[in-house]
Amino acid sequence: MTNGKDPYVVLGVQRSASEEEVKAAYKELVKKYHPDQYEGNPLKDVANEKMAEINQAYDEIINNIRNGEASSRFSASANFDSAAVRNLIQTGNITEADNVLSRVDPAMRDAEWYFLKGSVCYKRGWFNEAYDNFSRASSINPGNAEYAAALNQLGSQRNGQMNGMPSGYYQNKNVDAASCCCDLICLDSCCECMGGDLIPCC
Amino acid sequence: MFGYIRAYKPYMRMYEYEIYKSVYCGICKDMDRRFGFVTRFTLSYDAAFLALMDMSVREKKLAVKNERCIAHPWKKSMCAVCGSDLSYASTVSVLLTYHKLKDDIADKGFKKKLLACCLLPFFRKPYKKACKKYGDLSDKISEAMKLQVSVEKDKSAGIDAACEPTALMMQAVFSELGKNKREKAILARFGYCLGRFIYVTDALDDLKKDIAEGGYNPLIIYMNNYGIDWDGQGKFPKQLRDFCDVTVNMSLGQLADCYVALRLKRFREILDNIVYLGLKYTYDSVKQEKFNKKNKDRKGTTTI
Repeated sequence: MTNGKDPYVVLGVQRSASEEEVKAAYKELVKKYHPDQYEGNPLKDVANEKMAEINQAYDEIINNIRNGEASSRFSASANFDSAAVRNLIQTGNITEADNVLSRVDPAMRDAEWYFLKGSVCYKRGWFNEAYDNFSRASSINPGNAEYAAALNQLGSQRNGQMNGMPSGYYQNKNVDAASCCCDLICLDSCCECMGGDLIPCC
Repeated sequence: MFGYIRAYKPYMRMYEYEIYKSVYCGICKDMDRRFGFVTRFTLSYDAAFLALMDMSVREKKLAVKNERCIAHPWKKSMCAVCGSDLSYASTVSVLLTYHKLKDDIADKGFKKKLLACCLLPFFRKPYKKACKKYGDLSDKISEAMKLQVSVEKDKSAGIDAACEPTALMMQAVFSELGKNKREKAILARFGYCLGRFIYVTDALDDLKKDIAEGGYNPLIIYMNNYGIDWDGQGKFPKQLRDFCDVTVNMSLGQLADCYVALRLKRFREILDNIVYLGLKYTYDSVKQEKFNKKNKDRKGTTTI
């Protein structure tokens, strides 16, 4: 991609996502960022930029899927038919993908093999093994963006991150002076909106 | 069921707590009505979570009325009206309890065995009744129990393999809630992750007892494999705690992804509380050995 961003991160889909999933994610984002909603709003430029980014990412992923070489430009293996395994994972044929992988001679297992093994484990819900395999793939080939992204995602959850946690939960502990002032000023403006005044001097 | 899925009360609003309790109360009455008096004593808050998920996914309404409860006969409290909305949760509760009792008879200590033997006769008929309605689910649960037996024999199995039976069981329970293929798939994964969470938490909860009695526990296998020497006295070793932390965290992280994808609206606050706070709190108290009633330090001071 020209601006260097990973299209899968932009759309927020997994590398193994099907065409349907990609389309659903795309529609969702368009709803959120469509510039028409920001008419006369200073955020319009940002929305435009974001839309361009989303469109580009969408085109790229759809092309990848249609060409049957989903993200194969990221990585491939010389030791076994990794495209076939990727295809099996993508179509949801996890057992068969695992069979093909286990038939690969242990001496021939490279970074791609560990990454795909990790993906198979991930799909099955075997997260501990998935993480071990992803980190192995990443340590053999540290420059690969795809391996690093997979490791990162599971890694942040491994440290306790939970998607969609409502803000405010457990966040009332570290109140510093600056944020306290901010809160007061906000409160003051709110009061002024309603006709009252909290801090008379401002 | 297991008792590990519950809300974190301090962060609940009063009305949320009342709804939560009324659902629990409703399931209890539903079990009494359809499956007999004894079955209601095996109910846990897990079933309330399942019922709330059911009502949230299917966008059902909740009807409540003031009724007396056998645990507190002197006062009336809010209680969900028994109806089809609660029947899935109570049926699943009966199915899972029946299988757990059979499992207890097969391999637990003397006390548990005796209790299970006493309870089991009361569950035979309800079990048949439940099977009639959810035959598929019951088959999947029996299959998972068989898998459990074979996993326990394999001394080299990793934690992922050990979690699989419970995870598959919960996968079957939750996927049943979905209205369409997409929802079923998300709920299946949600259940799978929840099952992993339950299993690891349960393993940690039972660890000391299993070490003392020489029972099966996947964490003992883990300690053997990684050369952690611990006799089951005092606090859990740090390496073991860290291992459980990452296993639970990954399961909960993935569970949260599925939960977000479901985009639930009804009972959102209560479900949020259970998913984001309750589960972690349960796990933390198991880790600090404060979960079981015996360990609860009721008189001591708590630092906040």
